[in-house]
Amino acid sequence: MPAPPAGTVELPRRPLDVFRWVFGAGAVVLILWSLLRIDIKWSRLWDAPSDLWTIGTLMFGRMESGDIGKLSGAMWESIAIAWLGTIIAAVFAIPLSFLAAENLVGRPVAWVTRQVFNILRAVPEVILALAFIPLFGLTPMAGVMAIGVGSIGTLGKLFYEIHEGIKTGPLEAADAVGASRLQRMRWGVIPQVTPEMTSFLLYRFEVNIRASAVLGLVGAGGIGSDISQALLFKDWGTAGLGLIIVVVGTIIVDTISGAVRRRIVSGRQSATTTTEPELAITGGVLG
Amino acid sequence: MTHLDTVVPDAPTLPRKPRPALFTIATIAAAIALTIVTARSVDFSFGEIIGNLSRKNSVVEGLLNPDWGQIWSRRSRSAFIETLQLAVLGTATGATLALPLALWTTTFGNPNRWIRTVVRSFNNVNRAIPDLLWASLFVASVGIGALSGLLALFFFSLAVTTKLTSDTLDGIDMGPIEAANAAGASLPKMLRTAVVPQILPAYASFVLYNFELNLRASAVLGLVGAGGIGLRIEFFRGRGDWEALWGLVFMFFIVVFVVERLSVTLRRRLV
Amino acid sequence: MIRFEQACVTYPNGVVGMKDLDLTIDDGEFVVIVGLSGAGKSTLIRAINGLVPLTSGRLDVNGRDVTKLNRSGLRELRSGIGMIFQGFNLVDRTTVLKNVLMGRLHEVPTWRTLIGRYPAADIDLAARALQRVEILEKAYSRASDLSGGQRQRVGIARALAQEPAIILADEPVASLDPPTSHVVMRYLQQISRELGITTIVNLHFLDLATAYADRIIGLRDGVLVFDGPGSDADEQVFESIYGRSLTADDTMTKHAAL
Ligand SMILES: Nc1ncnc2c1ncn2[C@@H]1O[C@H](COP(=O)(O)OP(=O)(O)OP(=O)(O)O)[C@@H](O)[C@H]1O
Ligand SMILES: [Mg+2]
Repeated sequence: MPAPPAGTVELPRRPLDVFRWVFGAGAVVLILWSLLRIDIKWSRLWDAPSDLWTIGTLMFGRMESGDIGKLSGAMWESIAIAWLGTIIAAVFAIPLSFLAAENLVGRPVAWVTRQVFNILRAVPEVILALAFIPLFGLTPMAGVMAIGVGSIGTLGKLFYEIHEGIKTGPLEAADAVGASRLQRMRWGVIPQVTPEMTSFLLYRFEVNIRASAVLGLVGAGGIGSDISQALLFKDWGTAGLGLIIVVVGTIIVDTISGAVRRRIVSGRQSATTTTEPELAITGGVLG
Repeated sequence: MTHLDTVVPDAPTLPRKPRPALFTIATIAAAIALTIVTARSVDFSFGEIIGNLSRKNSVVEGLLNPDWGQIWSRRSRSAFIETLQLAVLGTATGATLALPLALWTTTFGNPNRWIRTVVRSFNNVNRAIPDLLWASLFVASVGIGALSGLLALFFFSLAVTTKLTSDTLDGIDMGPIEAANAAGASLPKMLRTAVVPQILPAYASFVLYNFELNLRASAVLGLVGAGGIGLRIEFFRGRGDWEALWGLVFMFFIVVFVVERLSVTLRRRLV
Repeated sequence: MIRFEQACVTYPNGVVGMKDLDLTIDDGEFVVIVGLSGAGKSTLIRAINGLVPLTSGRLDVNGRDVTKLNRSGLRELRSGIGMIFQGFNLVDRTTVLKNVLMGRLHEVPTWRTLIGRYPAADIDLAARALQRVEILEKAYSRASDLSGGQRQRVGIARALAQEPAIILADEPVASLDPPTSHVVMRYLQQISRELGITTIVNLHFLDLATAYADRIIGLRDGVLVFDGPGSDADEQVFESIYGRSLTADDTMTKHAAL
């Protein structure tokens, strides 16, 4: 190896990244403040694992097969709530989504429609359920309405993003043959967007199943109601079985719906693949 | 004007029209059937919807006339602060642990196939359980209060950030890993020098995104007794005080909106 | 008849696409427009059916002043002018027949077009158009399942289904290989002759232009620099249109004699 040059080699000074320091320090302060000020008796944290273990053994050790029928019925109700809610949301989101696409309508119209979507997206479905319960009672219909209204915003957003990605060639062709606005929409836009829209609709249905399972916790029908009752009355076996049925039911519907979605998407010819929309990870209640 | 029929005189016969694909028919039929069956099982009726929505009711009146003064009430304010604290701590704990957990699900980060499978299955089950259900379980086992909310957000954050991070890990450049291994780095050293720098900006952005989600999630945790602003919402609902309830919800949206703007700006700078 | 008088197009960004154009094209002519990229070929073609509005001057198409037309007047005008595109502009996910039926949108009642129930007479017309470009057997295939040459024939059929007086083709063969290009050009030429349709084609390759054009129009920077029969257009003429000596890239068959 060649000998290093005599003396020490001096590195240039490392530049100071102010943004990083400020950001990092802010985060640390926020975390420390939360940790010290939050109203939690930390000593209870040490008991939490054993509490969980106890509950876990009670829940999964005392399940009764007699409950399966009733809980499966409740799970079906959750699925029904999710499906009808998704359909209702689609009825509103589909026409609105065309009004939110900048390439189909003017910028001002698109902007206004998007604000409507943004507001609807901001409200958690659970809050909507709370609002609908006094109107519809503790019924599945309250859940349907909450899911329906809550999904308009997200579906609308997903849809207009599809519309904005379409090829302009067919639109140009429609203009060149003298098509009216409606005809341009029907033959230039709709054939291009239907497969993805169907696929995203099913995707949203899968997300909504998780949401509707949760809505029952506040009383809006479905299996969540049964689980929350069971937890309230310390009927651990029923709660455990309910939990398992939620997970199994969700996975079954996901599998079927996912297969249909893949078939729809693979039926199309363009090389681009539809990836799962971002809401994949936000879980049910957040949408 | 052109007359095609003079040039193509015999009326051409179109080929036989193919029948629509079985798959399309089956899907449409299934969708219709499902709609009818589900509508029956929840007693769906348009009349009921229209009737219920048009009837005079305190929910809508409260919505049109929200009580903006809520933010000045001491209890509401401390509920807000608790929500914020829950979101911060939930993110700090869950999202931090998500990084090693995500690394553990990759082939280069975890040579042991068996452990990999276990970690992946844990992630899948964790993702299948919604946050509010976690909260209910913790309220039942650990008790009412912010601790249950924190635990629920911990698991929720773990699910979200692990999923996003492992998706990113699937797409990284394998070159630096080979280089580090060739230089004889141990597994942790290789991960630290060859993998983490590649995903750090994306990961930081996921953590912020997760924080936004947690802020929204922590608003509803209280509905099942797990602390934060949800407790106040539940309190007003019990009293039927919809003006106060909507006022509180709107205040919360403003907070969420501001935090989101900040976070989106930060995220842009990171990636 | 198409007549430009002192026609100018200046795009919103200030680029001049057409400058003081005086040009008359008679019914039934087969005209090829040549010029370098950016010379204003597309601008000229698109001005004719009003896709690009003139900024000044006059343009009469079949007795109508295009610059004075309102929305529905423009639709009416366009319904009588077929257009063929470089990228075909077909709706990939629908059948060939539905694509051709787009040519009937203006004539068929809106409600029928919206639910996709076209009258038998229009379907018959679409079938004849497909027959004319010898692709009838693909009527129920998805447009995306066809080859490039087949797609462009569907494009021609869509234009034919309009029963147009004029066909505009903006670089119709630019995405096709040489043999297929000749097939498509031959269809356009035959259709123009047999049906008496005025046809205006933008072409990139000079050998194609001389092989098919009755009349060649040369553009440079939006200005008309040549107008004469195809037989007059020799190498010198093209060099003057292009403002440079010709290269192998200017012809489709690389060593074609002009
Ligand atoms: N929509 C537009 N907005 C602004 N400038 C445009 C627009 N369309 C065309 N131009 C400009 O006008 C000029 C003429 O363009 P045109 O498309 O007519 O050329 P062309 O001869 O068809 O070229 P090419 O062979 O590349 O298709 C070019 O400088 C082009 O950049
Ligand atoms: Mg052009």
